[in-house]
Amino acid sequence: MNYLAKPIANPVVVLREEFDDWAVLFNPDTADAVGINPVGVTVWKQMDGTRSIEDIVSVVQSNFEDVPEAVHEEIVAFVQMLEKNGFVGLALKSNI
Amino acid sequence: MREQRSIDTKPVTSRLMRTPRSIDIEITARCNLRCRYCYFFNNPAMEYRDLPANEWLDLFDELGSLGVMQVTLAGGEPFIRTDLTEILESIVRNRMRFSLLSNGALIDDRIASFIAGTGRCDYVQISVDGSSSKIHDSCRGEGSFDGAIRGIRTLQRNRVNVAVRVTLHRNNVCDLENITKFLLNDLGLASFSTNSAGYMGACRLNSADLLLNTQDRQTAMTTLLSLNEIFQGRISANAGPLAEGRMWRRMEDARSQGAPSFSNGGRLTGCGCTSSKLAVRSDGVIVPCNMLAHIELGRINQNCISEIWQHNHDLNRLRNRHTISLSDFSFCDGCSYISYCTGNCPGLAYSIMGNAYHPSPDACFRRFIEANGTIP
Repeated sequence: MNYLAKPIANPVVVLREEFDDWAVLFNPDTADAVGINPVGVTVWKQMDGTRSIEDIVSVVQSNFEDVPEAVHEEIVAFVQMLEKNGFVGLALKSNI
Repeated sequence: MREQRSIDTKPVTSRLMRTPRSIDIEITARCNLRCRYCYFFNNPAMEYRDLPANEWLDLFDELGSLGVMQVTLAGGEPFIRTDLTEILESIVRNRMRFSLLSNGALIDDRIASFIAGTGRCDYVQISVDGSSSKIHDSCRGEGSFDGAIRGIRTLQRNRVNVAVRVTLHRNNVCDLENITKFLLNDLGLASFSTNSAGYMGACRLNSADLLLNTQDRQTAMTTLLSLNEIFQGRISANAGPLAEGRMWRRMEDARSQGAPSFSNGGRLTGCGCTSSKLAVRSDGVIVPCNMLAHIELGRINQNCISEIWQHNHDLNRLRNRHTISLSDFSFCDGCSYISYCTGNCPGLAYSIMGNAYHPSPDACFRRFIEANGTIP
């Protein structure tokens, strides 16, 4: 994954937030669904194509307590999983 | 119920989704057929009228904003609506998937192609109740078999996923083997599902001719369990003889071995639909389920769906039905299967007993045994 890339949530994907702060991401084009925890929800909401992974990690660090040292790797893995399954696209850095 | 005790109507928010995942919609009250066991017609709770498309479009905008994932359109016959494409476009625009329940006769290449093109259709379910027009048409009317098969082939030609539902009644129990071969071999379906005519709607007028008696039920159960082995699990059922055959085998095994209660046994746990879905009648009234059309929760575009979902008194009462013990009912007195029983469908309980908060006699294992029924 290009670490300079800025992830963009697939606009067709539906975020279903539940009472316990967990959520479901549902892709109506494929009928795929994935459950995500409150950190995942925060990450999802930051993926608007303007924020890098580093930016998103900073948001998580400032919004949650006891964030593990491996948070960067975990968020990268999470975004890669979403990308692989069509939930996320990447805005590549332009050289123009 | 021996002792009338109050049922908890508090919201069950700790395990409840914030909004329903799916909605069953009777998109029209019109139908080109008048099947003798249709649950939809002859329901005194219903007002048989259609809403204009814009009312449904407004509802789909609301459902989309709530993150509802799936809509099932039934009726009546949904393909009778000339504005169906507009309705489906709205579902797609609001990021939902859809299914349609149909008799098949009004499906043509134009609409089948449109459905395929949306990429959002889970399936179109067609009712097929016989391997020939003689059997199928006996309850659904002349020409209905040809229409159903024409509809299936049109959907297949356009690469729309086809589901078939076989409703069992007294006239088709002996045709099950032929039906299975026809659907799985001749039509090439991957699978089909079964249920049986229930004491609801139009069937209440024809129940003596149509409802399975103990012998019919036993024949259907034995045949379907055997066919499902031969066809390697390609026949499914959530209700009716096949589902009962499986469930009653488990109950008999558990009772004979003195096994502990089933986790959902001994209480009115018969339906979990109220934790994931809502339904809307053709006149726009929101109800918990199409089988409980008399429980009016509100009206589309007038009452907020999420408010109803989270706070409606009648809906929460229904959700807490599982707290009622079967031992509270004289109907269940002395039953040795009580620890393994769920009390079955609340819709049928209402239709037969006039009370959704009662076990349904329809799928009662003890009654089957007492009528000299045996499980295969």
